Formats: sequence, structure tokens, C-alpha cells
Amino acid sequence: MDFEVTYTEEQQRFRREVRAWLEANVPSSVQRTPVSAEDSYQRYLELRALGRKLGAKGWLYPTAPARYGGGGLDVDHAIILEEEVDRFDLSLPPYYDSGGRLGSASILVWGTEEQRQTFLPPIYRGEVRTWQLLTEPGAGSDLAGVRMTTAVRDGDEYVIKGQKIFVGSDNGTDRIWLIACTDPKGKRHENLSWFMIDATLPGISMQPMELMGTGGEGGTDSGVKQTVFFDDVRVPALSLVGGENKGWTVATTHLELEHGGGGRIGRNRVWDRLLRYCQETKRDGVPLSQQQDVRDSLADIYIKTEIQRLFGLRNFWLTYARKPKSYEGPQLSYFRKTTGLWMTGAILDAVGPAALTTDSGWGSAAGFLETQQRNGIVSVHPGGTTDIQRVQMARRIGIGRSTREKAGTVHGAE
Amino acid sequence: MDLALTESQELLRTTARSFMEREAPVDVIVGLQKRDSSLAPDLWQKAARLGWLGILIPAEYGGSGERLSDAAVLYEEMGRGPLPGPFFSSGVLGALTVLEGASEAQRRQILPGVATGERVLTVAITEPNASWGPGGITLAPQGRNGSYVLNGTKLFVADATSATDLVVAVRTGEGPADVSLLHVDAKTRGVTTRRLPGFVSWQCEVSFDNVVVPASALLGEAQRGWAALSRALERALPLLCAYIVGACQAVYEKSVAYSQSRVQFGVPVGRFQRVQDHVIRLVNHLDSARWTTWEALWKLDTGRPAAASVHMAKAVASEAYLDVCNAAHEVHAGMGVLVEYGLVAHTQMSRTLFHYLGDPRWHKRAMANALDW
Repeated sequence: MDFEVTYTEEQQRFRREVRAWLEANVPSSVQRTPVSAEDSYQRYLELRALGRKLGAKGWLYPTAPARYGGGGLDVDHAIILEEEVDRFDLSLPPYYDSGGRLGSASILVWGTEEQRQTFLPPIYRGEVRTWQLLTEPGAGSDLAGVRMTTAVRDGDEYVIKGQKIFVGSDNGTDRIWLIACTDPKGKRHENLSWFMIDATLPGISMQPMELMGTGGEGGTDSGVKQTVFFDDVRVPALSLVGGENKGWTVATTHLELEHGGGGRIGRNRVWDRLLRYCQETKRDGVPLSQQQDVRDSLADIYIKTEIQRLFGLRNFWLTYARKPKSYEGPQLSYFRKTTGLWMTGAILDAVGPAALTTDSGWGSAAGFLETQQRNGIVSVHPGGTTDIQRVQMARRIGIGRSTREKAGTVHGAE
Repeated sequence: MDLALTESQELLRTTARSFMEREAPVDVIVGLQKRDSSLAPDLWQKAARLGWLGILIPAEYGGSGERLSDAAVLYEEMGRGPLPGPFFSSGVLGALTVLEGASEAQRRQILPGVATGERVLTVAITEPNASWGPGGITLAPQGRNGSYVLNGTKLFVADATSATDLVVAVRTGEGPADVSLLHVDAKTRGVTTRRLPGFVSWQCEVSFDNVVVPASALLGEAQRGWAALSRALERALPLLCAYIVGACQAVYEKSVAYSQSRVQFGVPVGRFQRVQDHVIRLVNHLDSARWTTWEALWKLDTGRPAAASVHMAKAVASEAYLDVCNAAHEVHAGMGVLVEYGLVAHTQMSRTLFHYLGDPRWHKRAMANALDW
């Protein structure tokens, strides 16, 4: 076994090129914590501008096929990019674009050639950002129960009507994709369809929801989500990906990725800050990190973050080495979510009330720990609750149903 | 990056698994449980012929000198049993302690016999205080006419009732780590070994009653014993962890199979989400132990600093095995506590290994120190 990527001289040279480029092109201002909604919007625009620059170089979606506007790079180069971007506390893409990431993967697997050529290049070049719209007021964990949003064929178009909830983030979007019911009387899993559409079409309106997460652009943990209304929105038939009533099949791809099937490499940003805070902060004259009870708590927290890293690494490898997967995706997701939730208590216990405030004088780790206190709770639900992850695991282990369930396909055209 | 086993490791796994299925099925494992000695001579000799006992011993001392990760494949398969016997005590911790602590002449004297299985080592570290640090070593030999005289007790010594040779950690100075290693023939007058009774697998008491050993029994140099033992433990612990990973894997497979076949309320019990939760808790522990262990092995085999990873692996694996067995008992209910079914051998072993060579708390603290927090 080899737990580390070994880089060739050419790859090392690529790393130096990436690092120099990022140092020249990532504005230091994007690392700020926004102080107002307007400030958050300005920061979002700066990140989108950075995204377009990265996209022009093929670095926004480095492993996506070059003929559709992606980087066409191999996984080793993609890792280098991820690692270098991570030095700026950013990811690829540098703003909330899980709709682009998951949607593009689904289109690569299930879309026609025309759909790939139409939908993928703007995503890969950073020209658009994309939200995924799945949840409805009556269909959360039971995603296959989507009924409220319907799509009806009318000539060369579909007419979409209904409502989605708990979706997106702040600052609007260019594209959305959604699952709608196309056969209200049809069988479960055989009555849904998957559409990729323009978010600016007439009849689409949005209403923000304030959640307990921090910030408006915080990805899945965003403090702002939207209710999106569709009022007879007419979309071209080309928007339908995977065929009518085949939406659940398309969804298996992005659900697998969202459930952690893609894996992750990278450090834990909370841990580094927590340790530094405990080393720098004294209680009763002794650094927290030198107090045995705090040290024991830190050891438990560290071990959980290490196991999470190793599960992410394993899934990453399984994905890129194209090995068969079973329960590993939802396992990572379950472990990440339950660890985050548990960690809210563990950090509060180790650090004390300073973990709860963002106050510049009395808060801890520049507000990072306060963010964890919120987001550790918020993260329990996006992409499937902890309970849904366990249901998935059980089915794939082969005990939840009479037949063992397979992991979703995540590889499309190369 | 490549997290797959190599081809030769896959081959070793296949060989080891078919050996285990043939030579050590559940009824054999269960049958061995009450024996005073963990060593089953027939099994031991067959394993020796396959080269299992010398897998870590360098070729110049009669072994095959494989990498730790190769040996780990083997120990995972043994753990599936869980196969009793001083495989780890002699072939891993014993052999590595001699390699790290003994003089060249002593290595040549001791190790070839370990590789053939004629010599069975165990390392006696802790005492009634049950500490795994150097401070727990209080047994101090008296010098007499150029010999050492030992009076006292070593406790929780693995497989001592089947050992031919003891490596005994003794206190030889006032400094915290002033420890030396003595090589003592288990048949020396005054040495008695006794398997501790109860819910514990072949952890033994070793008593020394005016035991006289010659000066030549000192392995390597005086006061260097703890350093040698630490180096040996750093390499040995991941193999104990690999044994635990294999054990957890077997308990997981048993639990999945049982939840698929046991029918209550008209359906296999695995359909119940409460039962699924036990299996999921189990597989999460299994994979936590597996990947922390394998990362530690990789670091050691590639010469990276590994101390923190090794301590973490032992802490995680100890906790994993204990709770994996708990979860399995929740899945199996009555069947699980039926001795002949085989889960009980794991449960007892999980409790034994929880503490052996350092419990989770001890290793977590050692990990924090190694990380220099």
C-alpha cells in the first residue's frame, strides 16, 4: 500500500506553476469573514471572478474532459491543484457550486452528446454557477416521494410547476437542476425526471430562509437557503437528461457522490485552529493543551478527524482507481456528520464558552470554533440525514433488503 | 497512492486463509480455549514449515525478513480465528525485542530457533501494577557472584505457559528508564508460569523465586533495555493491530450472515433498523481500525516517523475490537453467548487485547506526546 501520491519532476514543476499562479491571482481579500450581507455578496463576486480565471485554465474542474471545457488532467495533477488551493482555505470551485459538481457528473454519465456540449462547458469554465433542487416540503429524506414539482410535456417544451425548499445558498444562481414528477400515477422510482435549466427563466422566483449556519455562501452549511417557486416555467425538451421517468436513475450518480462516494483529500481546517488555540490559551496559568483533561479530549477529537481523513482518502482512491464500492460512500458521510455533531460538544467541553462567541476580543480561533458549533449541527441533514446514510449502508451491506444494493455509477465519458 | 494489497500479499492472504479454514476452524479454536498452553503443537509445526514464525526475522538469522505490511496480511488472517498461540509473542514482539536489544552473538544464538519454532519467546514487561511504561518495571535483580538473582512477579505476560525463553524487563537503576533485558530459560529452577483464570486469554503470571541467571543473560547492554523495547514495540504493535483487524472482520462477517439468516417476526432480523445499527457500528469500528493500522504499517515500512500513528492505531484497534464484540452480541443475542458458536473466543480476546501492551487511554496520551502538542 502507498498512502501518498508520489510526484514526478513534471508534477513538481506543475505544483510550482500552480502556486505562483495562485499567489498572483487569489486576492487576499477573499480570505476575510464577511461582516454584512453586502460584504458577503462582494466576496462572492470576487470568488466568481477567480472561478472564471481558474476555469479558463482548466483548473476549476481539473479532471473533467477537456473536450467539454474541463482541464483533462489526471488525478495526480488534480490533487496538486486541490492541495495548493487548500493553502488559501479554498476548495475547487472556490464558491458553492455543488450543483455544478454533482450535476456535471450526472450529465457526463446520463446525458446525450448534445446535452454534454450544451451544459458542461459553461460549468467547467466557471461561467455559471449551479444549484441542485431536490428537497420539497413533502419530500426530504424520502426523495423518491417528490410529487409537488411536476413537469408536463407540451410540444418541444416541458412546463414545470411546483416548489422546492432548503436549496441553494445566497446571492442567486445561473443554472439549476431538479427532479420533477412526470407521471403522478406512475410507480415509485419510475415517475421522476431530471432537468437542467436556466435559473433566469420567467416564472422562477425565490424566497430566502435564514438558517442557523454561518454566512450566506458557506456551501452545504450555508446560513441562507432558498424556497424556489416554479410557476408554469417553460423549458426546452433538451433540458430533460436521461429520458422521461428515468430521473431516479440519473439521481443515483449525484446521490452517490453527495453521500461521500467521491472521497476527499485534504486537511481538517477546524483541527489546526483548535490545537493552536489550546496551545496559546492559558487557564489557571497553564496552557489548555497541557491540562490532562483537555489533552485527553484533544486526543479523541484528533483521532476522529484522522479516521475521517482516512475514510475520505480510501473513497478517493476507490473512485479514481475505479475499484468497486459498496457501503463506503454513505459510511464516510455518516462518520463525517456524526463526528461533526459530536465534536460540537467535545470542543465546547475542551475550550469552554469562548467556543461560542465570535467576539474579536474574547472569541476563539477567529470565530472558527463558533462556526463549528453551528455547522456541526446544520451538517447533519444536507445530502441525506445520518439516518438515511445508515439505511444506505445497510442496503449495501446486504441486510436492509432481500437483494444487495449496488453503489451508483460516478464515471461518465472521458 | 495505491491502497490495494500487492500481488504477493494477495497470494499470502489466500494461503493463510485456506490454512486457517483447514487447520483452525471454529471447533478447533473453541477446543483450544481451556488449554493451559495456547500452543497447539501440530498447528505450530505446520505454521513453522510455512515460514510464519520467522516472517520478520532477517535471513541471516534464519527467517525470511519480510516487510511489516506483508506480515500484517498474515496476522489479519490469524486474527480471524482468533488463532491462539504465541505467534505474536514469539515471532513478532519476542523476535523484534531480541533484534533491537541483543548483541550480534545473542541474535545468532536465539533467533534461528524462533524461526523454526523450537524456541518460543515471550516478553515479560508489566507487573501487578499493570503499567506499560518504564515506571511499571520494578523487578530488580540482585547481583551475586557475577550472576543475577531474581525474586518477584511479572504479570499479564502473554503465552508464558508455552514459552521456552523469557525476555524479562528488569529495573537496574534509579533513572526512570534504567531498564535492562534478561534472557531467561523458562525451565530455570525457581521460574513458574501460570495462566490467569477468568475472562482473559492466555495472560500469565510469571514468578521468580531465587532464580539465578548468568551475567551472559543480559541482552545487549545494561540500561538500554527500555529503548530497545520501545523500538520493538513500535514495530510490533501494528501487527497486533492487524490481528485485531482480522478479528473484527470475522466478527463483522459472522454478524452480517446471522442477521441475514436469523428469522424473527417473519423476516431476517437484519431488516430491522435497530439491528442494522449494530452492524453499522461494527463496520465503522472495523474500518477505523483497518485504516489507522495500515497507515502506521506504511509509515514504518517506508521509514517515515510513525510513533504517533502506531499509538493511534493501537488505541483505535483496542476500542474497536471491544465494541465490535459488544455490537455482535447485540445482533446474536442467545446464539452469541453459546460457547461453541465461536463469538465468545473473540469477546474474551477483545477484552484481553484491550489492555495488553497499553490500553487506549495510555496510547492516546503517548500519541499526544509523540505529536508534541
